[in-house]
Order: sequence, then C-alpha cells, then structure tokens
Amino acid sequence: MSIEIRSVSKQFGSFNALREVSLTVPSGELVALLGPSGSGKTTLLRIIAGLESPDRGSILFNGREATDRHVRERQVGFVFQHYALFRHMTVFENVAFGLRVKPRGSRPSKGEIREKVEGLLKLVQLESLAGRYPAQLSGGQRQRVALARALAVEPQVLLLDEPFGALDAKVRLELRRWLRRLHDEIHVTSVFVTHDQEEALEVADRVVVMNEGRIEQQGTPEEVYDRPSNPFVYNFLGNVNLFHGRVHAGAARIGEISIDLPEYRATENSPAVAYVRPYDIEISRIRQNPEEIEAEVRHIQGAGAVARLELERLDTSEPVEAELTRERHRELGLRQGEKVFIRPRNLRVFVEDYQI
Amino acid sequence: MKRHSVLPGFGPTLGYTVFYLSLIVLIPLSALVFKSVGLSWGEFWSTVAAPRVAASYRLTFGAALLAAAINALFGVLTAWVLVRYRFPGKRVIDALVDLPFALPTAVAGITLASVYSGNGWLGRYLEPLGIKVAYTPLGILVAMIFIGLPFVVRTVQPVLEELESELEEAAACLGSNRWQTFRRVLFPTLLPPLLTGFALAFARAVGEYGSIIFIAGNMPMVSEITPLLIITNLEQYDYAGATAIASVMLGVSFILILAVNLLQRWSRRYAE
Amino acid sequence: MQTDKTLDRNVAGRTAGRGLTEPAPVRWGLTIVALLFLGLFLFVPLASVFAQALEKGWGAYLEAIREPDALSSVRLTLIAAAVSVPLNLLFGVAAAWGIAKFDFPGKSILITLIDLPFSVSPVISGLIYVLMFGLQGWLGPWLDSHNIKIIFAVPGIILATIFVTFPFVARELIPLMQAQGKEEEEAALVLGANGLQTFLRVTLPNIRWGILYGVILCNARAMGEFGAVSVVSGHIRGATNTIPLHVEILYNEYNYVAAFAVASLLALLALVTLAAKSLVEWRMRGEPM
Repeated sequence: MSIEIRSVSKQFGSFNALREVSLTVPSGELVALLGPSGSGKTTLLRIIAGLESPDRGSILFNGREATDRHVRERQVGFVFQHYALFRHMTVFENVAFGLRVKPRGSRPSKGEIREKVEGLLKLVQLESLAGRYPAQLSGGQRQRVALARALAVEPQVLLLDEPFGALDAKVRLELRRWLRRLHDEIHVTSVFVTHDQEEALEVADRVVVMNEGRIEQQGTPEEVYDRPSNPFVYNFLGNVNLFHGRVHAGAARIGEISIDLPEYRATENSPAVAYVRPYDIEISRIRQNPEEIEAEVRHIQGAGAVARLELERLDTSEPVEAELTRERHRELGLRQGEKVFIRPRNLRVFVEDYQI
Repeated sequence: MKRHSVLPGFGPTLGYTVFYLSLIVLIPLSALVFKSVGLSWGEFWSTVAAPRVAASYRLTFGAALLAAAINALFGVLTAWVLVRYRFPGKRVIDALVDLPFALPTAVAGITLASVYSGNGWLGRYLEPLGIKVAYTPLGILVAMIFIGLPFVVRTVQPVLEELESELEEAAACLGSNRWQTFRRVLFPTLLPPLLTGFALAFARAVGEYGSIIFIAGNMPMVSEITPLLIITNLEQYDYAGATAIASVMLGVSFILILAVNLLQRWSRRYAE
Repeated sequence: MQTDKTLDRNVAGRTAGRGLTEPAPVRWGLTIVALLFLGLFLFVPLASVFAQALEKGWGAYLEAIREPDALSSVRLTLIAAAVSVPLNLLFGVAAAWGIAKFDFPGKSILITLIDLPFSVSPVISGLIYVLMFGLQGWLGPWLDSHNIKIIFAVPGIILATIFVTFPFVARELIPLMQAQGKEEEEAALVLGANGLQTFLRVTLPNIRWGILYGVILCNARAMGEFGAVSVVSGHIRGATNTIPLHVEILYNEYNYVAAFAVASLLALLALVTLAAKSLVEWRMRGEPM
C-alpha cells in the first residue's frame, strides 16, 4: 500500500512539530525518517498511524483519503519505541492479541490463531519463548515480539518508532540487518524513525532527512549521503570538516583553494562554508601544489580499519579531522607534532546566508 | 480544549469525575462556605473569637504543632532505622507503622485513654512520677502523636530508600565524617519530604476528633479541642456557631493544602 | 562484587566500608530509641485492646459481640462499606482514566480537589451534610415535607462514609496509571481493539493490584470512620450506630470489657488490612513496571 502525505502541519502548544510536510511512500518500500530529536519524525509517524491527527493537511492510503480514519481501521502495524508489550501477557498472547480482539465475524478460530502465532514466532525466531512474559526477555527479543505482534494482523503498512533505539550496539547491528532481510521477504510498505544516520543509510531504500518539522532532503541512501542538498544534511550524515571562505562572481575562495561555482555567478563577495568529509582530506609531507593548507598533527588514533588524525591548520588554528586508510597511514608514518600539507577533495560550498 | 490522544473515554470519565466530585465534595463544602458567609461579621467574630473558642485554638494548634514536631524527629529516626539497619521483626514493624491509618480512631481513643490512665499499663508507671497523661492536655498530645506517626515515616522512607549510596561514598571520599555527611548531604535531601510529612501530620492532628475526645477530658478552657466545640454547638442546635468555627478550620485546612503543594513543588526543584 | 554491593547498599553493617555506616553502638542505640517510641505509641496500645477485651474471659467477650445492638451495628457498618467502597471504586477508576491518560488544563487543581476530603476534619465532613440535609439545612424543609430522612438516619451515615473515603482508590490509581503511560493502550488500538476491549484486556490487568490496594484502604476507613459518622448518626442504638459508635456508647457507659471486645473486632480488621496491604505492596513490587 502506498502512503501519501499532503502538506501536513501539527502544533503542540506553541511548538511546531510539523510544518507543511509532504511525502510519498511508494508501495513495498522501506523508508527511514531520519532526524535529530524534535525534528518531527515521530509525530509524522504517529500521524500516519492515526495515533495523532494533523492540524492541517491530509493522509492518503493507496490514493484514498484516510485522514479521519480511526487508528483501529487503518490496518497499520506499529512498533513502539519501548515496544509497549502487554506486560501481563505471555509472548504468545501478545502476538495473538490483535487476532483475538477482531469482531466475532472476522475472528479466526482458536486453531487458526495458534497456527498463525506459531508461524510468526518462527519468523522472528522466538518459537521457544512463547510462554515467557515480556519482563523475562532481552531487549532484542522484546523488539522481535513487538514486530511479530504488529505483523499478526497483516498490516498494509508497518510503522516502527526508533526500533533499535533501546538496544545495545551489537544487538542493534544484528537486528537491523535482520529487519532488512525480513522486509525483503514480506515486502510490506514500511516506515521507520531513527536518529542514527548509519542505521538509516544501511537499512532503508529511501531516506527522508527531517529537521525542525520540515523535510530537508529525501532520496536513496547514496543520494543523500553523496549529494547533501544543504549544510544541515551534510552535518547530520557523518563527520564533516568546515572551511570558511568567500564566494564571489561564480568562484569560491577557501584559503589557498579556489573552486568554480557557476551556480553562484550572481553572488557578490558573500561568506561561504565549504564542507568536506574526513576521508576526503589528502595528506602529504611535502607541498605538491600551491592549493594546499599547512597543518600540524595534533593526535593520531591508529587502531581500527581507518586511522583518524586530528590536525590543526597553521593559518587559522582551526581543527581538521582526517581519515586515512591503514596502508596510507603506514606509508606516511606520521608522528604527533609533525607539519603536513592537506588538500581537501570533493568540497561542497554553501553560501552562508543560505536559507532553506 | 484540544487533546492529543486517540484513546476513547475522555469525555465520559472526566464528566463523571467532575459530577461525582461536585455532588459528594464540592457542593456540600460550599454549603458550609455559604452558610458562614450568611452570618453578619459581628456575629461571626463574636463566635470564632470567644474566649472558650480561642482557648481551643491555642490547645488544638499548639498540641498539633508539638505533636508534628515530635513525629518529625522520631519519624526520621524510624525511617532511618527501618531503611538502614537490620534487626529481627523488621518487616512486621514496618507494616505496623501504618496502624494509625488502619485502626479506627474510636478504638485508638479508648485504648490510649485506658493505657495512659492512672491504672493503665503505662499510666501506672507515669503517675507516681507526677506525670498525668489521660484527661489532660498531655493526653491530647499523645493521641495526636499516635494519629500523626506514619506521615513523616512514610514520606521520608521512600526518599531514603532511593538515595544513591554514591552520594555518601563521595562525601566520605572527600573526607567528611558520618555526622557531617548526614547533616550536609543527607539532611538537605530529606528536608522536603520531612516538611511535607510534618505538614500532613499537623493537618491531620488539627482536624482529629475520634482518638482525642476519649483521652482529653474535654474540660472547657483546658482540654477542649476545636472539633469538639463544633460538635457541642451542633448538639445545642447552634448551627451558626458550629458553621463559623468550622469555616475557620476549613480555612486552615486550605492553607495547609496550599503549603503541602508548594512544598512538593519545592522538593522537585532539583528533579530533571 | 558490584552486584553484591548494590543489593545490600542500604543495609549497613555487612558490606559497607568503615566510615560509610555508623559505629555499632550508635546503630543499636538509634534502633532501640526508635523501637521504644513505636512501642509506647503503637504496640502497647494495640496489645492492650485484646488484653482488655479478654479481661473477663472468652465468655464475656463473645457475649458482648453477640449482643443484638452490637450485631446491628456490625450490619450497618457492613452496609455503609458495601455502598461507599464500590461507588468510590467506580469513581476512582473513571477519574484515573480521565486524568492519567489525557492532557487537559486544570489537571493539578482537579487532583488537589479529589484529595480534599483527606484534609478536612472528620467533624466538618459530617457537618456539611447536616447543613445540606438537616432540618435547618438547604434541603431540610423539602426533605421533611416529603418525609425523607437523611440526617440521623442510614443515608446520612452512608454519605458521610463516602465523603471520608472518597479519594482512596483515585489517589492510588492516578500516579500508577500515569507511570504506566498510554503506549500499551495505543498498541491495543493499533492492533484493532475497541475501547472496552482495550480497557478490560490491557488496562485493567495492569492496575489490578493498585485497585485492590485502594479498595483495602478505602474499606478500612469506611468501616472505622468515627467523627464524620458521629455527627450525622444521632446515636440511635440498634438503628443508626456503626461499630465505632457502638464502641463509644459502651465505653461511656463504663462497660469496658464490652467496649474493648467490640473494639477488638475493628483492631482485627486493622491488622488484616495491614497484612493485606503489605501483601499487595509485595506483589506490586514483584510486578514488572
């Protein structure tokens, strides 16, 4: 089922949770709503579910108006951040709940319920824990019970609120891969909320970056990561270095570096910021061309797949973070306090009075 | 009024709540307020400031204050002992602290009167020392201590239980001795619940009737509490007098409610 | 090691290091003073109720309890509790649902008003109904002309009992339901349950111990209330006397054995109440939140 959100706004008191948000989720996709806390992502998810109603705007399911449809009738599965498992029911009863409360006419028989629940518990790999109570489960197990419970009513849409938020790092990693595989198996339209960019980029077909009640950018993980459309998205998706400079008549000047920016041909001498990822900082011992910046090595963290270097620019004393592959790090053999020359690749320049 | 919830039943439950509250509590209480407003100021003042009534205020509020203070001191001690130390029978004793809440006040009254009377279990040892408890203002104090006993214990106890031992460990590491730790680290944390418990015990003692009248002796000007005066007026069909005195007490209750609410807000000032 | 310490962190003397607890003599001293205080004001009086009730043996005890006026007071007390407890239970659940699961302005004022009967002197609790329904009260003349008796009759006793036990269930359930939040109810609704199903299958099981706790306390107060009931009862033997009022009459007649025999019933009720309350507290602590 496809979901369409048409200029939805929502206010809590004087707080604008959502401002004119429009979004389309095609059928069968797995979409991540990514943003910092207070960005409106959870509110949007709850509005899709029908747990909140929008002040303005509308929600369409499969092209049909659903704004005023009661949460009971929306046929959505919702996985709550803290799972909201019924603490007085066993795992089995939790999963069976949605089937047991169906109106008498459409309620499956006891045997059908048993069969269905057992199937789902198998799907989430919890067959052996059917008789346990939620309090007796680990975080990851609770999470999977919540998912099985949501799937039991065969929802048209699966909505997950920070599904991995309350788990520790290792379990989180396993579960999100598992969720991705599960989605590939059952292909139900899914939307999940997260503040973890890695999670969004790894799991989702499409990432919707939100901030202050607005959508900043949406696209495939590659699109939003490689071509952030504004500084917020750049900052939010991964570590970044900032270089301050100016833009004048279609060219940016960042320290010694100048870059052609045809789209800013009309701009006259405005302050600008260039963004560059740490792995796009090249380092050498000797100056290879004039467009390099002199810096000093402050700290080296050599353990792990990449070596992380903290540098300080000698001209402005600003810190710069760089990442080197293991080989390159070994090759250079840098030491703390050494002078080096750095050259940023793939600079993205935004004129500073940039407004969304 | 905008609600952000899909849960059903807001209208009916809140409607019923307000309806039942009005029917049982608010309308009858307003009857008292209206009735006392109906009195002329002179009438009102001559009733509530009469010497016998004034003596009852002094006795009631004075004894209640003293009882609450004693309960504050021993309440903190009791809570401390119950939370921090081990001794046999602790759980039973812990449960029995609530006895004054559970034991009907009339039973408490006749029991305290007989235990502390001249030939009672405790009175027979106190009387030779020249301490007369039953049928004196001291008896009123004893009854007020009894009915107010659980308040401070039960407000301080949970706070003491939740206190992180790291606080004391940190204080000890910084060179503080036990008494300094108690006075400078623990006591400031325990003060808000202590004051709340004190105010609750005071409010309860001021309004108490059942457990006091049996032990008080009820001598006008000496050992007659204000609630008893209200009943005496009522039995003499002096409704105006009863109402006037009752409205003074009700006013005091409202002030105490306000005080407790402010105390609780104050005690949450460090909460996240 | 860490877990050992956390388990015992509040109990001194075993695991806490020197300087983190008081020296043993201080500990014992404080314990003895506290127990002495509790003994003088709680345990000795409690024991004396039973001792005095049985002073003249079991025969006199049973006779005092079986006496017709005593039995009729028991009956009236049971009636008053049987009416007021369910009404306040219904109110408590409704109020807790409305207050804990929804946001609205004036909520804290409403909670304060619900607690009001606890802060009012029992004497005033009775007086206000006299002012409403008594002969000189607001509705007195009308009631009198229609031959309806509320004050100095059973309805007045019930009303006064409802008033003094009014907040018990509500004040127990409101914080409990606020702490539990509304996610489970929302989950039930998303899964297709209707309002009643959500309440019966999800909310009710979660608050059952809280309800029981409130009912136990409410019942104890309903059966034991003296001041408020005394004002509205009229003290008619065998007709408008509850157990506490009957105790008063016997005591004032210097019939001490009978007074304490009947009082011992209430003291037993208090002990059962405390035991049940501790049991429920223990269950609630075991319940995962």
